[in-house]
Amino acid sequence: MDAYITKLDGAVAVDDTILTTGCPTTAGSRMLENFTSLFEATAVTKMKAAGYTLAGKTAVGEFGLDTLGETCFFDAPLGAAAKIVSEGEVMAALNVDLNGAPRRAAALYGVTFIKPTYGTVSRVGVVPCACSGEQIGVTAKSAKEAASLLAAIAGHDPGDGTSFSAGKYEYALDIPLAGKRVGIIRELMTGENTGKVETMAAKLRALGAEVTDISLPEVSLAKTAWQVLLAAETCNNLSRYDGVKFGYRTEEYKNIEELYVGSRSESMGLLAKAVILYGSDVLSKGRYDDCYDRALRARRRVREALAGAFGEADILLSPACLKAAYTKEELKPLLSVYEESVYTAFASVTGVPAVISGGVQMVSDTLNDALLLSAAAQTEV
Amino acid sequence: MNYETVIGLEVHVELKTNSKIFCSCRNGHTQDANENVCPACCGMPGLLPVFNRRVVELGMTAGMMLGCDITRRTTFDKKSYYYPDLPCAYQITQWFAPICRNGGVEIETKSGKKFIRLKQIHMEEDAGKLIHDDWTDTTMVDFNRTSVPLIEIVSLPDLRSADEVLAYLERLRTLLRFAKVSECRMETGTMRCDVNLSVRPEGSDTLGVRTEMKNMNSLSAIARAIEYETARHIDAIERGTETLVQETRRWDDVKGQSFAMRNKETAADYRYFPDPNLVPVVIDDAWYESVRATLPELPEEKAARYVSDLGLTEADAGVLTASRNLCDIFEAAYPQCSSPKDVAAWIIGDCMGLAGKKQVTADDVPVSPDKLAAIVNMVEKKEITRGAAKRVLAAVWEKDADPRAFVEENGLKAQSDEGAIREIVTRVVASNEKIVADYKAGKTKAMQALFGLVMKELRGNGDPAVIRSLLEEALS
Amino acid sequence: MDRTALASALELNQLRLTESETEAVLAFFADMAKDEPALLIKELDEIEPMIHVVDLVNVLREDEASQPFTREELQKGAPEASDGCWQVPRLLE
Repeated sequence: MDAYITKLDGAVAVDDTILTTGCPTTAGSRMLENFTSLFEATAVTKMKAAGYTLAGKTAVGEFGLDTLGETCFFDAPLGAAAKIVSEGEVMAALNVDLNGAPRRAAALYGVTFIKPTYGTVSRVGVVPCACSGEQIGVTAKSAKEAASLLAAIAGHDPGDGTSFSAGKYEYALDIPLAGKRVGIIRELMTGENTGKVETMAAKLRALGAEVTDISLPEVSLAKTAWQVLLAAETCNNLSRYDGVKFGYRTEEYKNIEELYVGSRSESMGLLAKAVILYGSDVLSKGRYDDCYDRALRARRRVREALAGAFGEADILLSPACLKAAYTKEELKPLLSVYEESVYTAFASVTGVPAVISGGVQMVSDTLNDALLLSAAAQTEV
Repeated sequence: MNYETVIGLEVHVELKTNSKIFCSCRNGHTQDANENVCPACCGMPGLLPVFNRRVVELGMTAGMMLGCDITRRTTFDKKSYYYPDLPCAYQITQWFAPICRNGGVEIETKSGKKFIRLKQIHMEEDAGKLIHDDWTDTTMVDFNRTSVPLIEIVSLPDLRSADEVLAYLERLRTLLRFAKVSECRMETGTMRCDVNLSVRPEGSDTLGVRTEMKNMNSLSAIARAIEYETARHIDAIERGTETLVQETRRWDDVKGQSFAMRNKETAADYRYFPDPNLVPVVIDDAWYESVRATLPELPEEKAARYVSDLGLTEADAGVLTASRNLCDIFEAAYPQCSSPKDVAAWIIGDCMGLAGKKQVTADDVPVSPDKLAAIVNMVEKKEITRGAAKRVLAAVWEKDADPRAFVEENGLKAQSDEGAIREIVTRVVASNEKIVADYKAGKTKAMQALFGLVMKELRGNGDPAVIRSLLEEALS
Repeated sequence: MDRTALASALELNQLRLTESETEAVLAFFADMAKDEPALLIKELDEIEPMIHVVDLVNVLREDEASQPFTREELQKGAPEASDGCWQVPRLLE
């Protein structure tokens, strides 16, 4: 087995939007409270094959749509997975990054998280929401464990039509930072975490990296594009939860319409419903061209802008979220996650890798996951 | 006022594949409900759609058979609506870039030949089946058929009558069966047809209000539905019996009427969008050509060849080329025999005769061409009589018997040894004085009786010509 | 997004909302709508939609059948099933 496993002997917690057998996968929703999958996620199978053990499931916000897990139907702390990793209860966790929740959680708990390049880890076994951008990532105490677990779960899966094969998956942590260019995204230097960004900048400079300012105004366009695309795809992926085949069914119904409406309305929370309804609207006949189709074009525009940015910087640096701490109370408004998504959306919508370390976010071009993990590893000390 | 009926058809055809379109479940006959189902095709989260290569090859094949342009970069889209036979509340189909566009087929009715244009062909997944149970007031959901691969063939509104519609459907069926794309049987649901119909005054070129009809389970039901709906439209226009509304209607063949469907499918906004899990299928020249190379000759081309090269009559060529199965048997058998016409006669006469008795269509004649050839050759070499050969054929059909072995086991070898037959003739004549006397007294039928007795002794294997000539000799 | 559009979305998605939920959702839409004009910039007029972030084509499966789960396993969590079928209230035609 791999020398990177710590004394916790490879105990890994898995988000409750990742399917496991032998226990329910609830996706944080009453709808799936008693749903037990017949198969486990490919990532879980691979991690077990590499010698890791499944420690248990961690709470997530309903379908992973929220800021930090505040909409979980079951009682749970914010950022549950990052919390137990930071407390040393488990070695690592597998989390689905749909709209940045695991990134924010890792930043707040001071642990490492990597959302790998889209297509690296199979999405077979993810409770699907926005298939075009969601990806399983790894939360761990440090970059070493994250890299090791990521290498174990990465790889082409013929069951996932968007997974690619990169041959070997090895995430070297000793890529030299000397001479690498780091761009701090000017438009994202807002909120309470800018100080952490400066701290990281100083550490990177000490390693020989060139850290400057970079302008990437397209981060706002990315936020808008991702909220439209995410809503539309999620609306479609959540329509299967209808009380007919599995999951929650309402108790009183006289006909199929009442069965559908009752089952869905009674078992899903308000944020999920708001996203479904907005997603349906952006796909509707009169709105598709001006909303959904435009968002797809905006995705390409953001990708082009990132390509330009990566011509000037190897790593983009920014805060991961607005505040340094959160309470469930202040996250009650429906829009909470959309106050935060400007920091995380540009990596979600384009599929480029993002790493959280030292409470901040570093993003690089596709397949540069190792560079990000190296930066994290070498600045951790 | 004379009216013209304007009809467009949407024909759904189930493709002949081993597995479903986006999951590996079996695509095939089932005995029980929900035996060809997996988490994906019953709506559970976690599995992703992966496209079955054979489906696009059959889609290309169908398009090539129907003269279509093949879309070289074809993609998949999701169509959303709620109905219990749709486990995910969406169907994966093709909205933006269907696999085929344009094309069409020539049909022939008693009014002559006509070209019916296609709008497009697209690939999509089928829905499940609902079984309504009045006793328990429930509906049972069976997902066996969910995700079975379909192509939908959409015509332009070029059809003008039930006759034309039936000719069009027959032509589609012939071509698609010929190319082994689908069984194309309305009785088993492997071919289904929705009819879009409107009427307008003769000579007008604006279209009237269009209604769509579903649930016609046979060609004759389609004809009845068209007649009824045409009359209903005309009644509404001329006598104001009702207001025509663009809607989907359900044909009830028992009542002989169409009814507006309760589910508001027609008002639904399907909110099509590209499926993020399915990347485009790009068909390059090499792939295109490799599929083209597998296309069968068109039935008409085969028929012409049978007539010009093999000397068959047009009528016989026509019967054979109406069925891919008969062509396959014929083409594999005749090279092993000396006379293609003979082989054709055996297929058209004897095999189809058996098919009639067993109530089986040409496409299901189960006779191995090698065995048929063996039978034809044995008759030609006078090893067995034609009568015995019919028995052998029946055995080949029913039990896939080996012809030579069957002949041995059942003593069917033809008896043409003159000496042996003469002995029997002599005996029969000697022991049937009355019949002989009748014959000599002018009752020619008596010859038949003597012939029958000789043949009986030979257990049916006597060479009839030899028996007849020896009898005549003995009675002269 | 007005109440008519919301009503249509509720029907298409088989959902209902209480009055206070309706207000919250309408406010949500209003806030989303504030960002939408950014998508209509001229710059995007000539850009092709990007549906996939990976550059893959022709990801295909061979036509082989397999049945990894039984009907009993699949119907284990069914709210209502009988005679091997999932059951819903009788549909009217």
